[in-house]
Amino acid sequence: MNVGASYNSAMLETTPIADLDRIGVRVGATHILHEASMRIVAGETLGVFGANGAGKTTLLRLLATLIVPVGGMAHVLGADLATPERYDVRPRIGYVGHVPGLYAELTLAENLSFVANARGLDESEVERSLTAVGLAAAADRRAEVCSHGMQRRAEFARIIMTQPELLLLDEPHSALDADAVDLVDALVHQTVERGGAAVLVSHDRDRVAKLADECLEVLGGALR
Amino acid sequence: MTTPEQSPSPTWPWIAMAVAGLVTFVAAMTVSADAVQGELSRIMYVHVPAAWLAYLAFGVTMFASAMYLWKKDLKWDRRALASAEIGVFFTGLLIGLGMIWGKPTWGVWWTWDARLTLTAIMFFVYLGYLALRRTTDDLRTRAKRSSIFGVLAIVQVPVVHFSVVWWRSLHQAPTLLRPEPPEMDTSMAVTLLIAVASFTVMYVAMMVKRIELARLEDAVVIADQTHSGAAAGDAVTAPNLSGRGM
Amino acid sequence: MRATFPGQVRSIVRRDFIRERRSGEVLWVTLPFGAIALLLVPLAVGPDGPTLQTIGLGMFWVIVMLFGVLIAIRQTNAETQPQRDVVSLTGIDPAAVYLGRALASFLLLLVFEVVLALVTVALYNIPLTGWGWMPLVMILVGAGLALLGTLAAGIVSTGRSSAALVPLLVAPLSVPLLISATQTFEALRLGRSILMWILMMIVVGLLVAIAGVLTARPLQESG
Repeated sequence: MNVGASYNSAMLETTPIADLDRIGVRVGATHILHEASMRIVAGETLGVFGANGAGKTTLLRLLATLIVPVGGMAHVLGADLATPERYDVRPRIGYVGHVPGLYAELTLAENLSFVANARGLDESEVERSLTAVGLAAAADRRAEVCSHGMQRRAEFARIIMTQPELLLLDEPHSALDADAVDLVDALVHQTVERGGAAVLVSHDRDRVAKLADECLEVLGGALR
Repeated sequence: MTTPEQSPSPTWPWIAMAVAGLVTFVAAMTVSADAVQGELSRIMYVHVPAAWLAYLAFGVTMFASAMYLWKKDLKWDRRALASAEIGVFFTGLLIGLGMIWGKPTWGVWWTWDARLTLTAIMFFVYLGYLALRRTTDDLRTRAKRSSIFGVLAIVQVPVVHFSVVWWRSLHQAPTLLRPEPPEMDTSMAVTLLIAVASFTVMYVAMMVKRIELARLEDAVVIADQTHSGAAAGDAVTAPNLSGRGM
Repeated sequence: MRATFPGQVRSIVRRDFIRERRSGEVLWVTLPFGAIALLLVPLAVGPDGPTLQTIGLGMFWVIVMLFGVLIAIRQTNAETQPQRDVVSLTGIDPAAVYLGRALASFLLLLVFEVVLALVTVALYNIPLTGWGWMPLVMILVGAGLALLGTLAAGIVSTGRSSAALVPLLVAPLSVPLLISATQTFEALRLGRSILMWILMMIVVGLLVAIAGVLTARPLQESG
């Protein structure tokens, strides 16, 4: 099943990539999101703002199918999140959290190889994507000795390698130098041009506002 | 937000427990002592019902765990917990009483009898179950994980049972002399039956009270996690920049 | 696009092996710890040759069980939520993650068993009768323990004090493995059939493997 292949220009503006209808998310008994609704269509970029602890990261992890909502209806890339369909769309989602998910003992290249192997991608993709993010010379360095910014770049390399249809970035501009900031913008543009969509969670309103078609605020567990 | 509904706490379980305990005690003390074992045989009227309750309780835990995995209703998880806790208590009682009876009868506190060994293993399996429940406050996560373990544990029981029985049969019969099971006369059999029935009543009463307690415990957890407001974000407010310290 | 199921399992095994090679946890920590335990026993019970010969093989299996659990749980405990997220989003089948982890642990356990067996033979002067069966028993115990430990680690992961809890959950459930392993050699010594002990270990391994595969998805997610 590959929805991405069936896009055409007429559908581009209307195909919902993600559609949340009055969903809630609870961690334990705490409501993180409550009656939250949003919709993002192909070719669109969405900025999400909110105070510390408002639930921005939770929203991203929900869109990444890593959290199952309670109540309401949630669809991502055509999959109903309440059903096991969500497992099928996971390879089409690219998520970069604000804490890097690299294995400390593995080199940057090995970290990417792990993903490439699991996905059945060619090993040459690893080198290509590391070169694209400017880490070709650091490919054989273990993640534990890399700076936070380098680890984030390595995570962006994973995105380049896997070419997701839905790009989810949590604080994409933090800990990055000027070159890497441009890299984030390029990633967003490429995803959108491919007929995908991007959601950016950030505190940097000015920068995200320039990238985004629309902006939302997480407030009191809802999206406004 | 669904908090468990407050229903009036019933008093009948307390009365039932007291009556059942009293009945067992009176029955066990009035029946004539065994000719061979003497007064020591009275332990049997607690030991045998405790064994029955241990098996019953762990069976209920497995059933409730499976029901939780099927229905995803937290009340089944509370039942599984209540039964496991009661089961661990009675298994402890069973082992303790068995030792007290074993020392004067067999001359040793412990013998590597298959059933004894299996009981000891079960005791630790369910201690592990109770320990597992303490590792998270998230009610759903806790329920799912302990239910999976609750089912897995019981699946392993027949395997453990056979391994222990075969292990026993490979070695020669125990060196110590085991008395033949006492010939049970009618009055003793009736007393035993009364004790088993009383203990079953006690189990039901304890279940009612323990489930009630579990419901309150869950309500405390929920209240703890939500005391700061409806949504998690409400816990964070604007910094106060005036006054001391800034 | 996704790799085949065996390809996914292979990628997990490879990841775990590289991590082990770099950290050396099994080879440099758990293995010496197990060996020192075998050294401590004679110091505690006295250097009486016949006694040590009698208890040696049993001690070996007890230490394989207790310390082997540490091998089976070593990585699960250290894994962070962001790392788990990356694994989930690769689209790897959770059952492949489970089997891959168990397979990596199994291979490490085999190394652990072989080295400790050599130490036991040397320290306890064990007669080598029936040791032709040793490789088979080691494989069955290693597989059973790896599957059981990986499953238990999955059940308690993300919880508090999980590193301490897994051995408590695994130890009682691994009793059939311990008994089967020791009694295989006891039966060989007595000239009895060992078939039921071998079958017992196979049954335990299969039961746990089925449970692990069936629970892999629900355990991957919190809530």
